[in-house]
Amino acid sequence: MLRFEHVAKSYKTKQILRDINLTIPKGQFVAIIGESGCGKTTLLKMINRLIKPTSGAIYINGKNIQNINEVALRRKIGYVIQQTGLFPHMTVRQNIEIIPKLEKYKPAELEENTKKLMNMVGLDCDEFLDRYPTELSGGQQQRVGVARAFATNPDIILMDEPFSALDPMTRTDLQDELVQLQSKLKKTIVFVTHDMSEAIKVADLICIMRNGNVLQYDTPENILKNPADDYVENFVGKNRIWSSPEYIKVEDIMIERPVTATKEMSILKCMDKMRQYKVDSLLIIEPDSRHLLGIVKANQLRNIEDKTQPIRSYISADFAALSPEQTILDAIKLVTKENHSTIPVVDSNFCLVGLITKSSLVTTLSQQYFDYTEEAQE
Amino acid sequence: MNFWQYITTNYTEILALLLEHIKLTAISVGLAVLIGVPLGIFISYMSKASKIVLSIANVIQAIPSMALLGFMIPFLGIGAIPAVTAVVLYSLLPIIKNTYTGLESINPQTLEAAKGIGLTRFQILTKVQIPLALPVIMTGVRVASVTAVGLMTMAAFIGAGGLGNLVFSGIRTVNNNQILAGAIPACLLALFVDFLLGMVEKLVTPISLQKGNSARKKKKRLIQKITLGVTAVAIIVIFVITSIGGSAAGARTITIGSKDYTDQLVLGNLVSEMIEDRTDIQVNRKMNLGGTQVCFNALQSGDIDMYVEYSGTAYSDILQHPPINDVDEVYNTVKTEFKEKYNIEVLSQMQCNNTYILAVKPETAEKYGLKNISDFAKVASSFKSGTTFEFTNRESGLIGLEQAYNFKMGENIPLDGAPRYTALMNDEVDVIDAFATDGLLKKFELSVLEDDKGFFTPYYAMPIMSEEALEAFPEIAPILEELGNVLTNDVMSDLNYRVDVLQQSPEQVAKDFLAESGLKQS
Repeated sequence: MLRFEHVAKSYKTKQILRDINLTIPKGQFVAIIGESGCGKTTLLKMINRLIKPTSGAIYINGKNIQNINEVALRRKIGYVIQQTGLFPHMTVRQNIEIIPKLEKYKPAELEENTKKLMNMVGLDCDEFLDRYPTELSGGQQQRVGVARAFATNPDIILMDEPFSALDPMTRTDLQDELVQLQSKLKKTIVFVTHDMSEAIKVADLICIMRNGNVLQYDTPENILKNPADDYVENFVGKNRIWSSPEYIKVEDIMIERPVTATKEMSILKCMDKMRQYKVDSLLIIEPDSRHLLGIVKANQLRNIEDKTQPIRSYISADFAALSPEQTILDAIKLVTKENHSTIPVVDSNFCLVGLITKSSLVTTLSQQYFDYTEEAQE
Repeated sequence: MNFWQYITTNYTEILALLLEHIKLTAISVGLAVLIGVPLGIFISYMSKASKIVLSIANVIQAIPSMALLGFMIPFLGIGAIPAVTAVVLYSLLPIIKNTYTGLESINPQTLEAAKGIGLTRFQILTKVQIPLALPVIMTGVRVASVTAVGLMTMAAFIGAGGLGNLVFSGIRTVNNNQILAGAIPACLLALFVDFLLGMVEKLVTPISLQKGNSARKKKKRLIQKITLGVTAVAIIVIFVITSIGGSAAGARTITIGSKDYTDQLVLGNLVSEMIEDRTDIQVNRKMNLGGTQVCFNALQSGDIDMYVEYSGTAYSDILQHPPINDVDEVYNTVKTEFKEKYNIEVLSQMQCNNTYILAVKPETAEKYGLKNISDFAKVASSFKSGTTFEFTNRESGLIGLEQAYNFKMGENIPLDGAPRYTALMNDEVDVIDAFATDGLLKKFELSVLEDDKGFFTPYYAMPIMSEEALEAFPEIAPILEELGNVLTNDVMSDLNYRVDVLQQSPEQVAKDFLAESGLKQS
């Protein structure tokens, strides 16, 4: 576990970091994000003591890092930086092995470790080990950089905008692989970036910084849905949520009070109700538990002669339901692939909590193109 | 005698001097690297010190090499040590500068990465900074080395030996073959050094930072490594051989020096040959040592035990008395004051008076009807003179002469020894100063203008030696007196002529003369 306590940094009169308090749980992937000059890189470099805080302290597993020998500390922390992190006069092998060698790994162990690392980052040993960094593409170089950071199997990895100089395709590949790697290795990763979509994609927790302050430190989902202030909202981008639809939950978009009826209600009353609320179906529930019994559609009722009999025998049980935790993608799938137009949302006890219809979905989706709140004000 | 003949007859000497040259250069550059690289590293850590160190190195670089060499004689004497010191000082700037630049130009991100992954300061230096800066450092070493080869020829000026010996004595005696025999090997050596170190430079450049196909480069590297290995072995062999040869110091050895012009070389060799012939004393010859200051300082510091000085030079240049023309007073003053002030013994004067004279081309003498300096004084204002530096700046030289004869020279160009003869013959100047015994006077058949007012101080040759040397070798004094009695102006002119015009070596001329004159006994 990594903890910042009242960490501040100033250069002469310029305050770079102000009273930072932050806890990074073990095995979490934390992205620190913000505009340039916000102090994110300073914060990162304090962890391996490249920069000394003016005040405050940083603890790793409860131990103040100021009391750890800085070389020993750095060798236990992987470090990946943008572009030039590799030593140009050393081969890939020499770059990866530099610290293990200084740590006196035995030759066989060294060889095996290097091969393992190369496999891990998806580079072929025979092809790449004896090449020089300049003979590699940007993406390959950064893979080697990642391999070197993992060389002594550290618990903490620091990454300072590692992918920012790569082309978008390569960047996406490396991000995917990093996420995969992390799901297996469960390292504590601190990742500095200025790219919000990258942060959302790779991180378990995002820490948004501005002017040396932490504005919001939360899961990507919460940051997207509940930005702490206007700056965060702007920084995240108002419509950012639409590019991460997996964070849009059914409960966020459902109609919370769908029109319902009980099974004892007469057909006539039901039709009245539909007309009154301008809907074409009713959800039939148990009055107290709101346990969902089924759906009744207007076109089924129209041809029934005796409209005074209770609705009970006309309830259709042929419907699909969603749980509130499912995402908008699930809802869209039901609508488009299976042609459902009315999808009740039920909790684990099959009690009705909401409704999604084809038209409510259209309305929701169209929000990304039109800002309804602003129109309403006009 | 053509150049090729000169080479074939003197190749052993040329080779020995070349080896000496290589050795001195290698030592100098080696020391400069040992001092310069750590200094460059140091100032890369201390940015405040960098300006100071670099400006000092710059200033040293700007001092003319002759001045630096001359300046060091009082402290370090003559020979290899001051020469190496001077060349080391000159070589420092490019080495310090390039080390500093090489280290400074490394991408700071690379260094931060090195620090960030847990390298110690020293590991960063040895594993990252030096390997990355090495190509630039080597460029500095290469520049320094090539310069050092050239500078080392100047070292002959203070008796350090090397190819400069040939160049200097060649210039003094207007012997182009000798100049070329020194200059051409020096040039070739410089080119070779440049080539070799260029190779080293490539070798230390990481393959990744070089252009071109890496497989071919790897093969080329092997060849380069072999070449360098062979050269390294050769240099070590040179050191071993020369150090064995150099350690032949006998029990009774006297070191005799001379200034760097023909009269001095002949006198020095005559004295040396005479002593070796008549006694069991071994003579260590350090001929060709710059001017009066160099020789006199060397005598005082004990680098040499004796050399032949001229009474007038000792009187007015060393003792700084105003010039007079009384022969005995000059000699006696010098003898007493040298003993009192410097503990230097002045032996008996020789017969030859190598005083100044003025010389013009016979055509000029005829045209203006010049017989003596009084004649010349009348027309001097339309003349252009080329005189030695010593003559130009002396009360007993041009300055006094103008006053004594009441004339003003039209224009004066200070020139070095022999080149003024060349200038006169090429009509670049109309009149030159000369020494009465110059062989070149005979060679060019110049007209000598008589000193009809007896202005010039007497310049009788007289061996001077340290007190200790005279105590150790008292038998020298009578032997040299015997030699001195034979050496008249005519004899010296003839001997100088043999060297300057017939291009015989001073050693040979000295040997021949002793045999011819019957002085030789064994």
